[in-house]
Amino acid sequence: MNPKRFSSSTRPSTTVKSRFACGFLRALWRINRQRRTSTSASSREICRRYLRVKVAADVSMASAVGSRRAWSRAILLRKLRNQGQNGTVRVRRMSNIPRMRKRNICGNKCTEEVAGTCQAEQLRKLVPGGEEMDMCNLLGETAHYIECLTTQVNVMRRIAEILST
Amino acid sequence: MQPCSREMQGINSLLNPTQISLQDLHDQQQQQQSQIQSSQIHHQVQNSHFDPTSHDDFLEQMFSTIPPPSCSWSDLNPAKTPAAWDLKPRDLSDDTAPLNPDNNNNVAFQFDDSANLASKLRNHQISGSAKSAAAAAAMMLQQQLLMSRGVAGAGDSGLIPMPLSLGSADDNVDGSSSFKSPNLRAHDDSVQALFNGFAGSMHGPGQTPNQTQHFHHSQGGPVQGQNYGSPAAAMNQAPASGSAGSAPAQPRQRVRARRGQATDPHSIAERLRRERIAERMKALQELVPNANKTDKASMLDEIIDYVKFLQLQVKVLSMSRLGGAAAVAPLVADMSPEGGGDCVQAGGGNGGAQRNQTASSNDTLMVTEHQVAKLMEEDMGSAMQYLQGKGLCLMPISLATAISTATCHSRNPTNRPVLQPNGGEGPSSPSMSVLTVQSATLGNGTVDASVKDSTSVSKT
Repeated sequence: MNPKRFSSSTRPSTTVKSRFACGFLRALWRINRQRRTSTSASSREICRRYLRVKVAADVSMASAVGSRRAWSRAILLRKLRNQGQNGTVRVRRMSNIPRMRKRNICGNKCTEEVAGTCQAEQLRKLVPGGEEMDMCNLLGETAHYIECLTTQVNVMRRIAEILST
Repeated sequence: MQPCSREMQGINSLLNPTQISLQDLHDQQQQQQSQIQSSQIHHQVQNSHFDPTSHDDFLEQMFSTIPPPSCSWSDLNPAKTPAAWDLKPRDLSDDTAPLNPDNNNNVAFQFDDSANLASKLRNHQISGSAKSAAAAAAMMLQQQLLMSRGVAGAGDSGLIPMPLSLGSADDNVDGSSSFKSPNLRAHDDSVQALFNGFAGSMHGPGQTPNQTQHFHHSQGGPVQGQNYGSPAAAMNQAPASGSAGSAPAQPRQRVRARRGQATDPHSIAERLRRERIAERMKALQELVPNANKTDKASMLDEIIDYVKFLQLQVKVLSMSRLGGAAAVAPLVADMSPEGGGDCVQAGGGNGGAQRNQTASSNDTLMVTEHQVAKLMEEDMGSAMQYLQGKGLCLMPISLATAISTATCHSRNPTNRPVLQPNGGEGPSSPSMSVLTVQSATLGNGTVDASVKDSTSVSKT
């Protein structure tokens, strides 16, 4: 069905891309199985399914990357936390203490106040796990995150193409 | 005593004029005292065999470890009788003369060795007595001395034999303690002189005037720091701050000349940090398209926008997974304004690379158009979802026009009028128009780079 699916016994190439493709397809398959069983057409169901697919995409990406990177660790931690809460999606901030540090870190480095929020703050909000990082690490994480996002987008687009034809 | 006067001169040369005034005040006293004490010390040296021998052993160790400098250290035979102690200062004083002509490095090197010795002695003494405050002060003094030596090559021959001891500084709690030091043990001086040079800047930690006793314990009451290099930075600050007003010009000049680039660890750390950040920014520049901005702030803006755009793409693609034309109206309605705004961005370049469809896709595009038009009649949301499933986006006509003119300005007359009829196909939202420039241009049969550009623009 999917040319990208590798059997677990043979792993010819374990690039992030292939690992992500495997994981994501498996998750999709699981979700579609659920979908077939339930004949829900309500927008709420669709909403939930969409969220599930998105989370599956993120999580499979993070697990493909592994825990080498702070952002992937943050995503996986978030998933674990949400699982513990029976699937209700809640992103809990670790603590407020890092905020002060973040502000201190940001205060000196902020060259421009964009709409009242520092650019570094914005970046921290975007990149998962970026709340407690200093500027230097944040930029490194952002670079890797952008790389993986592009991979993710390309793979998903290709899958969409294949599935929709 | 001549050594004493030389020492005093040395001190004078090193300290700033303000201290010299103090010096003058205490000169006479100290000279007298020094004479007295030096004689006392001599007595002690001669009388106490045991202590010097113990120190001799100590010195042996140190001499063995220290690489023989060009000075007369090797001449000193610690195995000798207490006479060696007497010899030491004299030897040093003799050697300092020939040494001075040597290059400053040599001098500094010797001082390092002697400082090494001194440090060991200090450590030994520290174990014997607790005078950490004095030790710290002495350490700083020594470093200051070393630095001054190294930089200015201060030909203060008098300094070496100068029987300075920070311990003695306690006698004068004020900065003038250094002047008192010359009066002390001559034998100590050779080692102690190193870090007792600027006792004036260092407050003499409270120590008993009985420095002579300490002679046994230490060749310099204050403990000695091991590394002179790194504290050099601290030294820079120490003399600057600790000695408020004491030789601000002289030591600082020397330090600056010696150090070269960085002034203190803070600036070094900051510089490193800034360099690292610049590296990361450069790496990011390559990842993010349209990264021709030189300004850091605008670069950050670009990065933020690009990350937002990529995340949006993931969302859109995950929605299209749901398949079918089932309208996810609320979601799509929310997504479409964002999608319309962002889809036009550089992401088009990414998608376009993959989907550089040429004339072969002409038919599919026409079909898509019709399909979209049909969907739009029933429900805007479903139309949106259909479009996004295909990887297309809706955008205002004005924006589409701007993009098309930007990408294919060379063949404007053919492209622009094409948009208008397309705009009319969307009755429910006249302000929005499916960007089908590529279909029109393809229909015209002009397949070229500009068409591909517009194609890339339309596809998300």
